[in-house]
Amino acid sequence: METGLLLVTLLVSHMLLTKEGVTSMPICPNGSVNCQLTLEELFDRAVKLATYIHFLSSEIFNEFEERYAQGRGFIAKAVNSCHTASLTTPEDKEQAQQIHHEDLLNLILGVLRSWNDPLVHLASEVQRIKEAPETILWKAVEIEEQNKRLLEGMEKIVGRVQSGEVENEIYTPWDGLPSLQLADEDSRLFAFYNLLHCLRRDSHKIDNYLKVLKCRLIHDNNC
Amino acid sequence: MKQRFISSAQIILQLALTTVGLTGQTYPGKPKIIRCRSLEKETFSCWWKPGSDGGLPNNYTLFYSKDSEEKIYECPDYLTSGPNSCYFDKNHTNPWTTYIITVMARNEIGSNSSDPQHVDITSIVQPDAPVNLSLETNTSANMSYLWAKWSPPPLADASSNLLVYHYELRLKPEEKEEWETVSVGMQTHYEVTSLQAGVKYVVQVRCILDLGEWSEWSSERSIQIPKERLPPEKPTIIKCRSPEKETFTCWWKPASDGGLLTNHTLLYSKEGEEKVYECPDYKTAGPNSCYFDKKHTSFWTIYNITVRATNEMGSNVSDPHYVDVTYIVQPDPPVNITLELKKSIKRKPYLVLTWSPPPLADVRSGWLTLEYELRLKPEEGEEWETIFVGQQTQCKMFSLNPGKRYIVQIHCKPDHHGLWSEWSPEMYIEIPTDFRVKDMVVWIIVGVLSSLICLIMSWIMIMKGYRMMAFILPPVPGPKIKGIDTHLLETGKSEELLSALGCHGFPPTSDCEELLIEYLEVEDSEDQQLMPSHDTPSKNTKIIHKETDSDSGRGSCDSPSLLPVKSREPRGLPSTLQTQDVRAKEKKGGKGSWETQCSASEQKMLPCNSESIKSCTWLAAQLPGNQAAMFAYHSTVEAFRITLNTTNVNPSPVLVGNEENRQSLYPIAETVYDDVEKISEMEYSKTDQTTVQVRQNQQNDKSPFLNPKLMDYVEVHKVRQDEEPTLLLKHKENSGKTKKSTIPGTSKEYTKVSTVVDHHILVLLPDQRTQNTPVSQEPVAETSQNPQDSQAEKSTGYSTTAPSDSRGDTSGSDYMDPSSFMPSFK
Repeated sequence: METGLLLVTLLVSHMLLTKEGVTSMPICPNGSVNCQLTLEELFDRAVKLATYIHFLSSEIFNEFEERYAQGRGFIAKAVNSCHTASLTTPEDKEQAQQIHHEDLLNLILGVLRSWNDPLVHLASEVQRIKEAPETILWKAVEIEEQNKRLLEGMEKIVGRVQSGEVENEIYTPWDGLPSLQLADEDSRLFAFYNLLHCLRRDSHKIDNYLKVLKCRLIHDNNC
Repeated sequence: MKQRFISSAQIILQLALTTVGLTGQTYPGKPKIIRCRSLEKETFSCWWKPGSDGGLPNNYTLFYSKDSEEKIYECPDYLTSGPNSCYFDKNHTNPWTTYIITVMARNEIGSNSSDPQHVDITSIVQPDAPVNLSLETNTSANMSYLWAKWSPPPLADASSNLLVYHYELRLKPEEKEEWETVSVGMQTHYEVTSLQAGVKYVVQVRCILDLGEWSEWSSERSIQIPKERLPPEKPTIIKCRSPEKETFTCWWKPASDGGLLTNHTLLYSKEGEEKVYECPDYKTAGPNSCYFDKKHTSFWTIYNITVRATNEMGSNVSDPHYVDVTYIVQPDPPVNITLELKKSIKRKPYLVLTWSPPPLADVRSGWLTLEYELRLKPEEGEEWETIFVGQQTQCKMFSLNPGKRYIVQIHCKPDHHGLWSEWSPEMYIEIPTDFRVKDMVVWIIVGVLSSLICLIMSWIMIMKGYRMMAFILPPVPGPKIKGIDTHLLETGKSEELLSALGCHGFPPTSDCEELLIEYLEVEDSEDQQLMPSHDTPSKNTKIIHKETDSDSGRGSCDSPSLLPVKSREPRGLPSTLQTQDVRAKEKKGGKGSWETQCSASEQKMLPCNSESIKSCTWLAAQLPGNQAAMFAYHSTVEAFRITLNTTNVNPSPVLVGNEENRQSLYPIAETVYDDVEKISEMEYSKTDQTTVQVRQNQQNDKSPFLNPKLMDYVEVHKVRQDEEPTLLLKHKENSGKTKKSTIPGTSKEYTKVSTVVDHHILVLLPDQRTQNTPVSQEPVAETSQNPQDSQAEKSTGYSTTAPSDSRGDTSGSDYMDPSSFMPSFK
């Protein structure tokens, strides 16, 4: 009996305590003059978003490959044909660590901007693929939207980190729209394949660079 | 050695035989010539087998004679061919002669000779096997040859080397059973073609002279036939793997090398570059692999990798392998795994797992992000439970079964692409049992304590007995509820209900209960008889008076209707005669129409007569002090009701009278069952028919919990003589609402005549099991047998629960059981 009573008491007190603890922390602590997200929070969000975008990109690529690219040898043709290839990005860990973080941030911005245009077209053109499954369609739209959000966030981060003036907007133009509208199905599918392949790659780059930057800037290379 | 052994054996034998010989020594047994053989037609040897030696040392002598001569010779050479043999050299061998040979054994006692053996040299020729067999392979123009060479068998006499042998060769693949035999001729070498490449062959040879037998096969020689000389086949690139996302290695599997020394070269080109590079490092990762160090590893770049195998016959290139190092990361398993058992506040143990990322992986820089998954199972379990833990490097496991030994393993994987590492080595952890035992003890104690308490409680209750019972389960006098229309309750209009009951003091006060209880305790002594018959209502007054005198306790036994009377609620009732006409219109045409009328009448209305004293008693006498007894009268026929009211002669046999107050309400519920009701109603209005009305009177007190019912009775109306009498069951209810069958499942027979009203209405009382007044059992009983009544009887439980209350019940505490009362007063 006593035990039961004790348990009840504990339970009640625990509930009370928990309830007290539930109160949410205000984003801006009292007294802060300039109420804004910390850089760490910004990076956290950017990394999450980039991870999500890359996840979607991988999924959409895999689905497309499984459905349309089986046995067509697209991978061999896809070599060296990403429109962002002209942006020189770090290719291994050392390069990624050596590049100045501002440069790397600008590169990320450049890549993101370079994808704005093709993603819009991808989202619309993908509707015309024969029997395109719904999963591909909505992912294309979702990626486009999330990419814009990430770009916004990155501009915010760059604005916060950048010491000097903001560089001119770098990006590489995309001229692949006609290829997405080719009459020949094989060529058209390859154009999609290639675009998705590049999207997967670049989204992974951005995700990876952001993680490196976060560890470098926020955690002093000790994640 | 051999000889020494044999001689020593002989000595032993001789010793043994000597001892035997003391008793029975004898001459030697017969020797036997086993074989004579010539290796080359020029010499020959014979061997014999000794017989028993007779227990003594023997001497053997070989004698021979030639067919051409009478003379007997002894063996020229006992030594050359070994023991028990005789060698005939060239000089003693003549191919044209037949030799007759015997062997004689001799000892001290006597001698014995073998059977003679005739030997023709030519028929005993068998050479030794060839020697020095050697094999060689030769490959030319994609054909493999096997060269075999050997030497003729050696002879003791070198001069006989001119002999001509014929040879035979046999061969087979090593793993097979069947030999392939080739006749070679006189050569001492042979070339075998049409061999299977890459197979190991076994070869033997034997020889024969121009006469005699084949020699034994020579000892085996074997040789591996080389594979064909071809350009190498296509190698296959098995896989490429990067353990830490900084370097990577590719492995390939060589195909057939064409039997030649083959070199493998790995070539690669990177996306965006025309140039083809060769593998920078063949050694680091072992044979058939290429290691790309950091300098040679780029990410987000497709490598086009091929492997070329080359030998002197040519080269072959593998299929290209496209690799983006980003997607081939497969880390090593996590390390530094620790398992720790901790106790939580609740003393339940939980498991804390910690681990470190594989040493090669640089997760601190953010370049590589790892995710982990662990799995565990009880040691004897079959299935693993797998838990994905994300990027954490620790994990807490709750709800592990105590007393079990768990196996835990962890592996990891890069966050996006790549493969899971191998599982880490198995780790074991035993979850101790004692925690649980403690819990068990606590619970057992709790259980014992609580059951003790329960025991004590129940003991106390038993001691206190009924009072306790009554206290805990206060008596709910059933009959009181009778007046309540269940449907009304359901609809939830309690006000209506209460008003229908005429109760203003709803829920009953404790006083009521107390009174009830006391009241109940009082009675039981008297024998009660329900419902007397009465003749004329006019005598009511008297009766009432008498009733007053009679103990109020009596009636209670018989009828619950008395109980209600008890409650003191005079205030609700006007002190004077009160007439209520509560009327509920019929709800449904079909089943039942109700009309309720409550009429209050003074005592004068009470129909009690002298005979009905008792009934009066239980109806009225119980009303203490100021109570008013209520009689609600329900009648389907308004006219009838009017009659009732206007004429002082109240058809209702209800004898209720309140002595003190002189106020009583007589609620009479008249219920007509089933569809007949309507008909009866009509009939009634016509006043053409004889109707038997079964009336159920309810005495309605104000307190709703007091049973309002008085009694049931049947009225028989005889309207017309030529028609059959009809029986109507009048059911008195206060609530006008219920359309149909508010009558509980109880039914009863109405056999007693209560009153005769208006000369054509016979009021019947329900049959009481126990004792009925003789009057009541009279002729009306028959009348009551009409269909309606029987219908009523059919209703379930009606008869069972019937009126038994009259007597036995009264004595006990059964007042609590409403069912026993209800039926009789419905």
